Amino acid sequence: MKVPDERDDVLLRRAAKGDESAFTVLYRRHQASLFRYSLRVTGSAWAAEEIVQDVFMTLIRQPKKYDAEKGEVGAFLFGVTRNRVMKYLERTPRELPLDSQLESGATKEPVDVLTPAFWAERRERVEQVREAVQSLPAEFREAVVLCELEELSYEEAAQRSGCPIGTIRSRLHRGRALLMARLELLRDVPRRASVGG
Amino acid sequence: MNCEEFELIGLDAGSGQVSAAEEAAAAEHSSACAKCAALAESWDMARNELSFYKDATQAASAPARVEMRLLQELRAQKRPHERVRRAGIMAAWGLAVAASIVGVVSWQTWQAGKHQPLQPKINTLAVNTTTQAEQSSDTVIVADEDSGAFTPLPGAIPVAAEDGSIYQVRMQRASLGVLGLPVNDDGASEWINVDLLVADDGTPQGVRLHEDATNSGTIQ
Repeated sequence: MKVPDERDDVLLRRAAKGDESAFTVLYRRHQASLFRYSLRVTGSAWAAEEIVQDVFMTLIRQPKKYDAEKGEVGAFLFGVTRNRVMKYLERTPRELPLDSQLESGATKEPVDVLTPAFWAERRERVEQVREAVQSLPAEFREAVVLCELEELSYEEAAQRSGCPIGTIRSRLHRGRALLMARLELLRDVPRRASVGG
Repeated sequence: MNCEEFELIGLDAGSGQVSAAEEAAAAEHSSACAKCAALAESWDMARNELSFYKDATQAASAPARVEMRLLQELRAQKRPHERVRRAGIMAAWGLAVAASIVGVVSWQTWQAGKHQPLQPKINTLAVNTTTQAEQSSDTVIVADEDSGAFTPLPGAIPVAAEDGSIYQVRMQRASLGVLGLPVNDDGASEWINVDLLVADDGTPQGVRLHEDATNSGTIQ
C-alpha cells in the first residue's frame, strides 16, 4: 500500500478509520512545522510539545472537525495550532523585564533544541534573541515569527493569521521596532554588567 | 522616498517582499538620511541575530514520545470501532449460515415434493390396504379366479379381471370412501371382505364385495 505520497485528506480519512501508518505519515509531514511555530511563538519547548500533541489528539478524536471545503489539512492544523498557542499566551503571565532577569542572574528555561555544537557565545546570543522575541506582544510576535522566522510572504502570513495584509504589515513594522529596541538593550546589558563588575 | 516610507518599506529590502525600484529608492534615501541609515543598520544586526535564532530552531521537531502517545490514543480510539465491526461480522456470518441452512432444507423439501406427485395417493391406498390387511386375520391374499362383476372405481379405465390382480382385503366399510365410492353412514365402521382389482401399474380399478358384505349392502 502506497502511503507516503497520499494526499493529506486521504490520509486523514484513513487515519480516522484507525489506519496507524496513514496517521504516522500525516503526523510526520506536519509536526515539525507546527512544533517550530509553537516553539518560536511560545519560546517553550515544553509548551510547543503540549500544543502539537493536543492538536493531533483533536484530529484523532474529532476528525470531522476538518472540513475539506474550507481548505487543506495543513492550513486546518495550523489554524488549530495557532488557537492553542494564543490560548497558551493568554493564560501565561507576561515575563519579567529582560534586563532585571539577566541582572538578577535568573536563568530562563533553555530551548532544548540547541545542541552543544553551537558556540557558547552564539548560544547566549540566541537565548537573548529568543527572550527578545518572547517579550513582544502576542500579535507582534506572531507577525515577526511568520514573516522573519518562517519566511512567509505578507499574503501567506495574513492568511494564516486570519487578518488583512495591511494589518500584518503594521504589526510587523511595530514588532520590528520593539525587537530592535530590545536587542539593543540586551547588547548593552553585558557591557553595563562588566563596567559595574 | 521619505523617512516614514523608508520605515515601512526600507526594512524589507533584500527580503523579496518589495520591488527592485522600491529597494533602489530605499538605498538612495538611506544614503542621504543618517537617521534612516542608522535604522537600516540596526535592523540588519537584528535580522542577523534573528537568523541565529531561526537556525537554532530550524531543526526543531516534537519529541518521539509525542508520536508514541498519539498512536496509543489512536489505538484506544480504534478499539470500540473494532469491537463493533467484529460483532457485525459475526452477526453477518451467523445470518449467512442460517440462511444457507434454510435454503438447503427448503430446496430438499421442494425436490422431494417435486418427485412424488402421485405417491401420496398410491401410498394412501397402499397404507389403507395394508393397514386393513394387517388388521385382518387373513392379511392380504390373492383371490383365485372369480367370475363376479367388479364395480369400477370412479375415473378408472375399464380393465378385464384377467389383466389385473385381485386382492382380497378386509377393511372397514368407511374405507370404501377413500376409493371414491359412496358409503352410507350406517354401519360405516363395519368390517367387510372386499375383492380389489388392481391394474399392472398398481392403481385400483374396481371393487367387489363378498357375499357377507353385500348382504349388509352399501354399494349402489
